[in-house]
Amino acid sequence: MKKLRITLQDVVPFAAFIVIFLFFTIMSKGRMLSAFNLSILLDQSVMTIVVGCGALFVVAQGSIDLSVGVNLALTSVIATWAANAWGDWLLIPVALIVGTLVGIFSGIVVSRFKVPSFMLTIAMLIGIRGIVNFIQSFIHTQAIPKSMGILSAPYIKYPAFVIIIIALGYVFEFTKVGKYCKAIGENETTARYVGVPVSLMKVVAFAICGLTVGFGALFSLSSNGGTSQQIGLFFEMRVAMAVFLGGVLVTGGTSAKLYKVLLGSFSITIIVNGLSLIGLSQTQYSQSIQGLLLLLILGVTILASKKIGKSAAPADDEEIAGHSEDQTAKA
Amino acid sequence: MNQENMLEIRGLNKYFGPTHANKNLNFSVKKGEIKGLIGENGSGKSTLISQIAGLYPSDSGEILLDGKPYTPRSPIDANELGISIVMQELGVIGSLPAGVNVFLGRTRQFTKNGVVSLKALNKAAADVFEKWELPKVPLNKLTDGMMIETRKIIELARALSVEPRLLLLDEITQSLSMNNRNKLYELINKLKSMGCSVIVITHDVEELIRITDTITVLRDGEVVGDLVSANTTPDEIKHMMVGREISGEYYRADMVPDYGDDIVLSVSDLTVPGEIEDVTFDVHEREILGFCGLSDSGIHTVGKAVYGLLKPSRGRVRLNTRDLTVKSASQALQNSMAYVPKDRDNEALMIHASIHDNFVLPSLTELQAGVGYLAPGKLRKLAQEMTDKLSVKCTDIYQAMDALSGGNKQKVNLGRWLAKDIKLLILDCPTRGVDVGVKAYIYSLMKEAKKNGVATILISDELTEVLGMSDRLIVMKDGRIADVIGRDEDFTEQSVIRVMI
Amino acid sequence: MQKLRSKQNPPQEKHNNQAVFALLLVAVIVVISVIFNFISGGKFLDGTNVVIIISHIVWPTFVAWGFCFLFACGYTDLSVGAILVLGSFATAIFGSLLGYPGVILGGLIVGVLLTFLNFNIFAFTKIPSWIAGISLAMIYEAVAVFFKVNKATETLIYTVMDKRLRILGELPWSIIILAAGFVISYIIYNKTTVGLNIRALGGNKAVAKALGINITKTLLMVGLICGLFIGLAAIIQQSIAGRTLVKTGLTSINMVFQPLAIVLLAQVLQKRLNIIIAVPLCSIIIFAIFNLMTIMGVPSGTLQEAFLGAFLIGFGIIGQRGYKGVVK
Repeated sequence: MKKLRITLQDVVPFAAFIVIFLFFTIMSKGRMLSAFNLSILLDQSVMTIVVGCGALFVVAQGSIDLSVGVNLALTSVIATWAANAWGDWLLIPVALIVGTLVGIFSGIVVSRFKVPSFMLTIAMLIGIRGIVNFIQSFIHTQAIPKSMGILSAPYIKYPAFVIIIIALGYVFEFTKVGKYCKAIGENETTARYVGVPVSLMKVVAFAICGLTVGFGALFSLSSNGGTSQQIGLFFEMRVAMAVFLGGVLVTGGTSAKLYKVLLGSFSITIIVNGLSLIGLSQTQYSQSIQGLLLLLILGVTILASKKIGKSAAPADDEEIAGHSEDQTAKA
Repeated sequence: MNQENMLEIRGLNKYFGPTHANKNLNFSVKKGEIKGLIGENGSGKSTLISQIAGLYPSDSGEILLDGKPYTPRSPIDANELGISIVMQELGVIGSLPAGVNVFLGRTRQFTKNGVVSLKALNKAAADVFEKWELPKVPLNKLTDGMMIETRKIIELARALSVEPRLLLLDEITQSLSMNNRNKLYELINKLKSMGCSVIVITHDVEELIRITDTITVLRDGEVVGDLVSANTTPDEIKHMMVGREISGEYYRADMVPDYGDDIVLSVSDLTVPGEIEDVTFDVHEREILGFCGLSDSGIHTVGKAVYGLLKPSRGRVRLNTRDLTVKSASQALQNSMAYVPKDRDNEALMIHASIHDNFVLPSLTELQAGVGYLAPGKLRKLAQEMTDKLSVKCTDIYQAMDALSGGNKQKVNLGRWLAKDIKLLILDCPTRGVDVGVKAYIYSLMKEAKKNGVATILISDELTEVLGMSDRLIVMKDGRIADVIGRDEDFTEQSVIRVMI
Repeated sequence: MQKLRSKQNPPQEKHNNQAVFALLLVAVIVVISVIFNFISGGKFLDGTNVVIIISHIVWPTFVAWGFCFLFACGYTDLSVGAILVLGSFATAIFGSLLGYPGVILGGLIVGVLLTFLNFNIFAFTKIPSWIAGISLAMIYEAVAVFFKVNKATETLIYTVMDKRLRILGELPWSIIILAAGFVISYIIYNKTTVGLNIRALGGNKAVAKALGINITKTLLMVGLICGLFIGLAAIIQQSIAGRTLVKTGLTSINMVFQPLAIVLLAQVLQKRLNIIIAVPLCSIIIFAIFNLMTIMGVPSGTLQEAFLGAFLIGFGIIGQRGYKGVVK
């Protein structure tokens, strides 16, 4: 039986979650716990969790995808338009395909052209938002076909959600794909030298992330009945917060675990929901708290992870002469 | 203490992790002496002079400069006491002009009102070049586009601009052309006539004898000889550098090559620009094919290229057992090949991950059940079995790699491949930084693999190791194959060193 | 560290003729201007448009110069846009309270303080600069909203920047400031110990350390320098616009994109031309492209953004050519 190793790094996100939960429950005088509110919480978490689990593959490698928000918007707009123009049933496949294609594009540019993922996905953040705004300037908001409205029915939505999460969890924790992604995050050079197909895995990770964006788009469209001018706005930060508040390191690796995305998603959803319950839903409170929290958690988890293991990288003074434990052979 | 000694070192020790790079070294340099320092890769030469230059502190022992204790906290301290170094690794900033590189870090002296006068700086730099008769370098141009030789000359100018009493040169001659080398020799003599001292590290034994007064030979971190240059011969030095007692039990007992007829791997005309050229060889079933040479001979590149990690500009690596040409590392992985990299911490292992994760990584494809399912129990079993079989000293298989000693890390490095059914094993310096007990164990693992039909490519900086284990030995020099020797032929250090150096 | 490869020599020493290349770039600008003018039916080189171009490139150029120093440290600070917004507020508020000195003081103090704070966070926590910057952007944006929502300061921000105080946004002042900025950044980048040290640090950290360069001190100095340029950019931006839009939801990052594109392009050219000189020239080229788009009716906020994103990706790809290390 695997011995449960609990480290500071694991404890902090749980502690944070408990603190956040208690804080808002108390401040909202218990309204947080009402059945109605809990169901809203769950609903609001669904999209975040689904895309978060997809983003997990990317973050496990040490990269990031900040374009999930605009990808969601683009996917929603195109899928709705296709469904209305050519056939209701197209909504699902088009959403999934467009989301995945955008992901594949990111993956190729990062792996083949070596552009840092944060820079690329931010450039896409602005570029694709421009395209979406452009499209919406003459298509305006659309409603999804009536027949597709059935997607929002609880007996379809929730089972679908559970199945998707289980599938993603399976691939991440129990197949080569997930293990390779974590290896790349731990040490990309090592992974390459073993023979892991690193470039391919990068494209795959971004593609999976894009696929989950497609699912997210479907959830969003079915909840709202169609597109809007606000789709996907700030969503990438939502997903990033979910992943990092859950305790996944920016460098990914073995710190990337599925349960952390669940934990973090609930944390961030409670924060946003809680703030509105206590009347502080305005941007300035919501954003400042999220920004501070993110800095805090990142700082603490990074610090905790450095304390655990002796750093294997050569100390700076050894680096100067090109020496490390393993390089004295050059002497 | 000898009054003539400008520099005296007693009982110097330096560790890098568990590696004992300098072992109780005693070393001295007289005023006006040109001292040569030579040894194989890993002997501790660069470590020694790096400490003299103030690049990092010693662990124990004392250094006396002019009789007074010398403990520089940084290279700047060393500079102020008249000691400067030209390092082995390239030490100029490409994005800055040559003149600036000469005085980088010391630009205050040319500053008026906060602004550095590039004119004054370049004039001072030009003066340095002039004074030491160094070939002219365009001081205004960025060093980025300059040849390696030119960059080395800039570094030399920088070291000289400090007006050193002791100049340390680490492998500088190999990047200089013939006439510049001669200029360097004149420069060294000029320093000597000024009462200054020079320590020269080089691989060229003949050169060393010619230009130095005395020579110190290092081996395995220890001083094995202090010679007067005029009284010694290249052979004597070479013998000291690599000669060791070969204890038979350690390696193989036999002196006969023993391998099958079937060729497992055929390499032809393999060329990687700047590293290796026209490398051609075969590896047979059950063979241990050794590769040896100096640091720039290309032996390590061969290992990477064979495993598909480098793209050759010419040539082919053909795996005959599967009838395919190896073009990528992932192909190699899928076709029963294995590669154990030299740099354990940075290239071979995921140092912050667990022993379990490191053991299972190369075997994930084989461990899959249907639908790609990797049963945690199966992975755990493999990791536990290997840990037990190899006696990896740890608290359990979930312990992080960075807590292990070098020897145990190496057991994991090698063991993760032995857990698979492999046909070709590429080992690069498999016993580096590993204690004697684990060394012997690794050799026994190699012998066992050989018995099981595995073909092994053994790349090593340690001559005695390749001589002890190989059926055939390929000696490389300057990126090409210099000689191929069989175990039953002249399999001695002398014959190999002659070709190697 | 960069390894010695004695068998492989880099290509022949390049002609470092910067003056020639700079003139070439200017020629390119002239050619582009003529072409654009033709395409737009004369509107591009029309008097008022030229004035617009000149006054609008000033603040992005200042931010781009600040970025030169930032990139030299290996940092990417995405909160600069939000700092600009806060700086603009400070300019307005202090300006209305103290007149001209307030205009200068306000922007500078905020710019320097916040950028310096950012640098400390980048240098001392181990959080990668890109995500630390995003978190900080969120916080600074929120702070800006607090200011705006506060009735007292709101009036100061909106009514204050009357014509008299906005002189820095007009010709000939904008050109004078641009020239001053050029001189200052050129001197610091090329002719001060701190400038040379930061470039050494960014080029090869191990070598820089071996030469005795104090890393922490250098990083913090650079934080101040960078802050200076950001502060000036805020002052100029407020002077031109007269009012500042509060940006939330990380839209402040949009403000950073144009300077980012300028620096990426200048980096591609930096082997031939000192980056400080390249920056204003690239600034003109990039703004000219968007200016043309505006004239031709390409809507901003939509397709212009799409082009900007595409440019960034393109420059990024070109800039990373031949990079052999690991990229995340």
